[in-house]
Amino acid sequence: MSARADRGPGPGSARPAPWLAPAVLVLAAFYAVPVLDVARLSLSDATMVRPATGVSTAALRAILTDPALPQVLGTTLIFVAVNVVALQVLGLMIALALVRGERRGLRGMTAFRTLVLAAWVVPGIANGLIWQMLFDEAPYGTLNSLLGYVGAGPVAWLSDPRMALVSAVIANLWQGTAFSMIVFYAARRGIDPTLYEVAQIDAAGPWRIFRSITLPLLRRAIAVNTVLVSVQTLNTFDSILALTGGGPGRATEVLSLFTFNTVFYNLDLAGGSVLALLLFVLGMGMTLAVLAAGARGEG
Amino acid sequence: MSAARWGDVATYAVLGVLALFFALPLAWLASLALRTPAEVYLGAARFIPADPTLDNFRTILSDPAFLIYLWNGLKLSAAGGALAVALAIPAAYACSRFEFRGKTVVLLGLLAVQMISPLVLLVPLYRWMSELGLLNLDLSVIAVYGAVGMPLAVWLLKVAFDAIPKELEEAAEIDGASRLQTLARITLPLARSGIASAFILAMVMNWSQFLIPFILLERDGDWPISVAIFNFAGSVSASTTQLLAAACLVAVLPAVAVFVALQRMIVSALISGAVKG
Repeated sequence: MSARADRGPGPGSARPAPWLAPAVLVLAAFYAVPVLDVARLSLSDATMVRPATGVSTAALRAILTDPALPQVLGTTLIFVAVNVVALQVLGLMIALALVRGERRGLRGMTAFRTLVLAAWVVPGIANGLIWQMLFDEAPYGTLNSLLGYVGAGPVAWLSDPRMALVSAVIANLWQGTAFSMIVFYAARRGIDPTLYEVAQIDAAGPWRIFRSITLPLLRRAIAVNTVLVSVQTLNTFDSILALTGGGPGRATEVLSLFTFNTVFYNLDLAGGSVLALLLFVLGMGMTLAVLAAGARGEG
Repeated sequence: MSAARWGDVATYAVLGVLALFFALPLAWLASLALRTPAEVYLGAARFIPADPTLDNFRTILSDPAFLIYLWNGLKLSAAGGALAVALAIPAAYACSRFEFRGKTVVLLGLLAVQMISPLVLLVPLYRWMSELGLLNLDLSVIAVYGAVGMPLAVWLLKVAFDAIPKELEEAAEIDGASRLQTLARITLPLARSGIASAFILAMVMNWSQFLIPFILLERDGDWPISVAIFNFAGSVSASTTQLLAAACLVAVLPAVAVFVALQRMIVSALISGAVKG
């Protein structure tokens, strides 16, 4: 090692600071300082057209006592919880089916994966607009005209408050499943195949193999993915904005959309900052929880 | 029939049903975009239009504003993706090649900041840019795209650099090359598929971005396609559903086409990233 030190900086001995500088500066300027500024603004009386004049908890109190807030938080909780479960069940089902199909040399597996990924890269706004056409409640609307063939419907996809939330979940599932699919596909392929060979020799059935090998070994992936998907869903709003605009009433107005409307339509900067801070704390809380759990699990 | 064959049938059954769900929206979009106004009112009966027409695309694409929106989208996403990768390369290289205290903190920190909604960041950024006169500038949007895309790019590039044998760099160093020369001549060329994946992924994400350009660009002529179709939809009446469908399809197709063409490369980059993460 000393010979290498004589020859100059070998691997591992160089100073990382200059290499890390650009990334750290970006993190400071575009993440850390803005978050601190949001915290400061939330304790001010600033609006979009008037800067803060002093410290005040008025905005905080106004938002926390806003009668809309409980409804928004309830909608957010339902939207996130249903999506997190459904996205992962779908993603896991697809990932396992794909891995099985590939192992058996079945045709069409890549085509199917491509199809799911194609939905993933559709811009959120376009996702909302496309599903708005599908959910069109006129008799010639996509889903209602299809239901008409089997004598069902018409369904008030977007005008009924309860149904509108279901519709928003469906649109989100269409787009979001690919992410969980990739995570579980990677994790499933990381499982040692000899475990499955042993199970085959022991004549274990598919359900038993799933319960005793696949599921336990995917536990870490599921834990991490649960948090990633929860936060992604919590932050989703452009597809809902385009699909329902938060309506009817506030039926599909989730926290991120409520924040967006408060800041950029009501121009209530202090109030919007309180909501943005809430969004940040919820997301970061979940992230840190899984990072801490991961650190404990590895130690 | 053997158990394995029944399993195959079950696999196809599950994937077949899901394929319908995933294919329907895009297929319907294409169907609507090819219909005449009269056929739009016929619903599912004209899933395959009896009288298909390209008029809707002609109308959309002959509007010069629409071509500008597409160009703006391409310009902003490509420049933003390139900036994200450029910012990420040194940090990813350091995390791959150097041992230093706090490396785990840096990597986990990069993972954590991706969980922050751009909405949270944009509230203060909008105000600062407004005070500094930086609104309505492409450069402002590109800078924010670079910052938002950088964390994922660092992770993907670190995985790509990890896959390159250190011995190659050590050989170059013995020949007297500096670290920067080694990076430029040896590491980056060898990591080009990883770099390309990170760039394409960042670009596709930027193409989808709505919030950042919507907030930072106030002039119609500066908008990328994602903002423009939202605005277009707001002005549309039911009689122009087929035009909106054509516009959506034109907005969606570039991202989907790029992704489908390069998916093998991108998916393998994502999978190796997911395994390491």
